[in-house]
Amino acid sequence: MKQIYRFWNNPKRSAWIFLAPSLVLLLMFSVIPMFIGLGLSLFDVPVTMDTAKFVGLQNFVQAFHDKRFLNSLRVTAVFTLIEVPIQTFGAMMIAALITKNNGVNKVLRGIYFLPVICSATAIGIMWKMILHSNIGFIPAVLQSFGLGKINFLNTPGLTIFVVTFISIWRSFGISAIVYVTAIQQVSPSLYEAAEMDGAGKIRQFFSITAPSIRPTFWYILMTRLAGSLQIFDIIYTTTNGGPNYTTESTVTYIYNRAFSTTSSMGYASAMSVILFLIIMVVTVLLYRRMNKEESS
Amino acid sequence: MKTWKKFLSLGLASLMTMSTVACGSTSGKSNKSSKDSGGKTEVTFWNSFTGADGDMLVSLVDKYNKENKDGVKVKMDISTDLDSQLSSAFAAGTGPTLLLSSSTYRFTYGKYLQDISDIFDKTGLDKSDFISSYLDYCSDGDKLYFVPFQLVGYYMYWNKDLFKEAGLDPEKGPATWDEWKQDAEKITNKSKNIYGSGISYGYNYQIAHIMQRFGGLAVTKDSNKWKANFAENEGYKKFLKMYSDMVKNGDNPQEKETDPMMTAGQIGMTVGGPWVTAGLDKAGVNYGIGQIPTGDAGEMNSCEVLGFSVTKNASDKQKEAAYKFIKWWNTADKNGDSPALQWSLKNGYPAYMTSVMNNAQYQENKKLQAMTPANADAPTDFICDSSFEGINGILSDVIPPMINSVAFDQSSIDDALKTAQNSADGIVAKYNK
Repeated sequence: MKQIYRFWNNPKRSAWIFLAPSLVLLLMFSVIPMFIGLGLSLFDVPVTMDTAKFVGLQNFVQAFHDKRFLNSLRVTAVFTLIEVPIQTFGAMMIAALITKNNGVNKVLRGIYFLPVICSATAIGIMWKMILHSNIGFIPAVLQSFGLGKINFLNTPGLTIFVVTFISIWRSFGISAIVYVTAIQQVSPSLYEAAEMDGAGKIRQFFSITAPSIRPTFWYILMTRLAGSLQIFDIIYTTTNGGPNYTTESTVTYIYNRAFSTTSSMGYASAMSVILFLIIMVVTVLLYRRMNKEESS
Repeated sequence: MKTWKKFLSLGLASLMTMSTVACGSTSGKSNKSSKDSGGKTEVTFWNSFTGADGDMLVSLVDKYNKENKDGVKVKMDISTDLDSQLSSAFAAGTGPTLLLSSSTYRFTYGKYLQDISDIFDKTGLDKSDFISSYLDYCSDGDKLYFVPFQLVGYYMYWNKDLFKEAGLDPEKGPATWDEWKQDAEKITNKSKNIYGSGISYGYNYQIAHIMQRFGGLAVTKDSNKWKANFAENEGYKKFLKMYSDMVKNGDNPQEKETDPMMTAGQIGMTVGGPWVTAGLDKAGVNYGIGQIPTGDAGEMNSCEVLGFSVTKNASDKQKEAAYKFIKWWNTADKNGDSPALQWSLKNGYPAYMTSVMNNAQYQENKKLQAMTPANADAPTDFICDSSFEGINGILSDVIPPMINSVAFDQSSIDDALKTAQNSADGIVAKYNK
């Protein structure tokens, strides 16, 4: 027993004990499923996964000829291009305004954070009712102002923006709070010096705040980008891809292919692999850019 | 150092193996417990009734467990995602003894289900009391996979107050689709956001039920081969034209969620399942129920049949126990009452047994009477021939793109039907191999 204690009572070795639970979970729920998914993508597998016919790269070829999959990639790209800049830059600006620890700011931070702790299902149902073309509160108010009948959730070309707005509204708080924490770490002496030199608040923001919180900016950018490319819950609960598939994201389509009664696990896995590669390439490029910037 | 590395890897490997064994042991335990429970044969019973009807199912199962002298204990598990639960359980070699699901599950999980055609001989249940077309729906040739439990048909609902305001007879819904279109025009009141017709582009089952009335089945058997019938189907063309015209005229909303509008009193007529009544009753809407208007394709009772099935996980003893529970469900006591009757009366689902239909309480229930088809022998096939295994593909991959492209004017009706034909041909070809 003493020997075991002595062996493990060493910082390098004991670290493994603390890492073990996370490593086991990571292996079981991320790494192993990822390799299984990769393997599945080469087979034709039904929902019960009791038979598997090797089809090679046929699932990938099918994906690149599947109009619905290509459309879902386009929808995901549009969603990401709108959501990520608003989340990363918008949240940064809001955070700069609510950084001071006074009562009003604390209340505002609470309000921004509130949607983060609500379930996506509840949020989806709530917005679906609020925006319903005929019985929704917002269209009724707009109609009473003479703005006509706006069908937010059933207008191709408009609904994608509505869904993006709901998604931003839902997760904006977490980005803002992370920025607030980062801004609060910036040394006050920098601001004092800038003020003495006559710099205004806007100049201080661009010359002190923004450069000081660049690691946080990169973190928000990369996590939001990966999150946006995997958008599922809000779309699933509000439009489920409609109208006419104009909001069907890649993950929503993959889910439908994998878990509906017409399930095709192999094909869904192949599409997941394609999405994984896209996310990986984008993240690696951003990561390299971040490292380059840090080293320079 | 090398020894300790080996020790560490062994430890981690044991931990992982143990956790895997732990996962396996749960199912193993459930299998064991399903065999015997306090001297009683335990039946594990899976279904997806999570709503108010689920509460009723729980209380009826509890009643059976308390009162039965069959030596059977039914252990129920209600799941919100029965499909995922079943697929993973069957893949792992486990699963329930007794399953309550749509009879179309036999197409996906057929090889895990037992033939239960001997249930009538073994239990004394009267086969002739079950309406034969519903039993046919649950069968594949001579083999019976499900005993009917609930019929999910679609019906026409109309708002009597809106009918009255439009000068129409509030006691009578339209009998034909031409009348539907004319009535919709009269009921629509744009200044009040009221639409005469409430056909949704997002309710695949609603669309399928309606288009079937116009143009018959989408997939039929022709010279022993499956054949898709979308392109050149005059009935489907007529339906899509009617829908498109009503959307363009503003008599039907371009909307995915029309049920809440019906509940809010903003829709004159709609087509939906029996669950629509719950919302209408709660909202105090004055409404009528009737059969969906007949179209050019003639009379039909198209519906989905939900039923009890016994899986291959069940031993002979468990199968016998499951049979006893199914018998109890469908057997009337000396007062003529049975769980099947109570289920129909309280949840508003029409009966699948003649004895239940003839019961005085059932006869007095106006809603159930309206939902019960006048001709019980009319075909029950829903959108495809009832033995076509690819029905779910037609419902999820062919009909939605077709109706969406018409609803949003993305393609002509002919093109929408041609695209639907191509998709359906792909599905059909898979089952013709």
